[in-house]
Amino acid sequence: MRWAAVLLAALTPGAAAGQAVLVGPELALANYREVASGLRYNGTGFGGSASVRRGKLSAEAAIARLTFDPASGSGATAGFKATQVDAWVAYDVAAYASVEVGVLHRSVTPEFDATSVGAVRVGVRSFSEIGPGATMVFRANYLAAPKFSSGGRAAVSLDLGIGLDVRLLGRLHGTAVYAFERMNRKVNPGGTGEIDAPIQQTRARVGLALAF
Amino acid sequence: MSPRLHHLVALALLGARIAPATGAAQTAPNATLRSAQLAYDNLEYRQALSLARGALRERLTGAERARAYELLGFTYGAMDSILKAVDAFKEVVLIDPERQLDPNRVSPKAYSAFAVALGQVLLVRQLHVDSVSFVGGQGAVPVRFTVTQPARVTTRAIGTPGTFVIDSGAWNGQVNLRWPARLPTGDPVPPGTYTLVVDARLGQNTFSASQPIRLTLGRVDTLPAITSLPGYQFLPQTEITPQSWRPVGLAFLYTGGALVGTLGLESSSLGSSSKRELGIVGGAALVTGFAMMLRKPGVRPAAANILYNQLLREQIARRNQDIAKENVTRRREVQVTVTPLPKGTPGAVR
Repeated sequence: MRWAAVLLAALTPGAAAGQAVLVGPELALANYREVASGLRYNGTGFGGSASVRRGKLSAEAAIARLTFDPASGSGATAGFKATQVDAWVAYDVAAYASVEVGVLHRSVTPEFDATSVGAVRVGVRSFSEIGPGATMVFRANYLAAPKFSSGGRAAVSLDLGIGLDVRLLGRLHGTAVYAFERMNRKVNPGGTGEIDAPIQQTRARVGLALAF
Repeated sequence: MSPRLHHLVALALLGARIAPATGAAQTAPNATLRSAQLAYDNLEYRQALSLARGALRERLTGAERARAYELLGFTYGAMDSILKAVDAFKEVVLIDPERQLDPNRVSPKAYSAFAVALGQVLLVRQLHVDSVSFVGGQGAVPVRFTVTQPARVTTRAIGTPGTFVIDSGAWNGQVNLRWPARLPTGDPVPPGTYTLVVDARLGQNTFSASQPIRLTLGRVDTLPAITSLPGYQFLPQTEITPQSWRPVGLAFLYTGGALVGTLGLESSSLGSSSKRELGIVGGAALVTGFAMMLRKPGVRPAAANILYNQLLREQIARRNQDIAKENVTRRREVQVTVTPLPKGTPGAVR
């Protein structure tokens, strides 16, 4: 949360005078799976996002509060709530590509109904203008040094997705973001040897934003 | 054919070729000279000689006198008295130095006698000054004349503002001079009416020819600033965006990339992931792509044309700077114009 606070502070208009700022609410949909195919959830919720660009430097942050319920056919008996924060700082290395670093943090309540996770993001982003005022983004991040509330480690964790930003009317923009997250978590319960306990989530955020 | 008949035929042919003489008799006011011309036309050379000599003893104008000597020259030429023909032609050119014979219309004998006569008399002939206009210091007045014998020739421009020596040297034949019309200080000579006098001296013999000219000084025309370069035109700075498949293509590419990545990264132990989320966002992207593809073509800045126009404007500005510099120089310069005048023009020094 401290990371998110720092980034959000950096995005305030006072700190970013003269910058292109985009802020707005979002509706979020998600599908969450953990350990085995029988443990899967569908979630919905609300959130918001903000982005700012100045020259080749840009920053983006999103927060979503999701309520997950067991999906049909799932072995889970109870749902949970999750708050996910994502943040990126990117630098354009070409007219269509950026390198970016950021953080991912997802906290879960009740604490033991799912796994909370935090990780550092490192990746690349490609973007193209598909029309006047319409931009698409493709993102691929490596999630480094993930920490899990239920223990374990994940040497390979990836996050990829696409994003769409369309200027609808004047300052009003429409946004849509898809993210797929895969963490190859391994746990070692009781020191008996590592077993796979992967975590996988797909998430969509659709919203409106105002440009300042 | 007897030698006498042959001679008569030759004389007849010679007389037939002397076209300048034919017809002149009808305009000659002096009766004796007219009779001499008729006798010559009728191949009665002895009578023509007698009448021409008789005419010369009468009171004749200069033109009539020259015509009488010319008739003598042609007649002596026809009678093979070349030396006498030369003497007669010498008298002709002394009276009328500009007299010319047309080699296509007179007999070769008469023409060669005329040429010999010219070489034996010191004359300055065919003095010509061309009309010319030039920037002072960057041109000259062309002066041409012919000296019939090797002689010391002095060419001067004599006028109210002063006398200026154009050239002094030994010349023979066709002479081409160029007069820059400048003072030793480099300034142009003062404007006014001048008489260009060519004096030829060979021993005690002298001859002069003259040509009046008018010399005027004016301002040099300045160059106008340009607004375009010949052959180069400004291009439109906007262009109509062409309709293309690119928006929907990119939407497919990005959505397809996300789908392939999702399918590739799915964990086998967790089963196939939900495609609902990708369907929503990918669908929105594809709809946006289609909308952008079908969108009415818009106007966008043509970057290449803008750059080209900028370069063209810079070139024009640079050229106008050069023109401005050139005009500063031109405003300090003087346009010298020289016009030949008819002989006897009032104001010309004789």
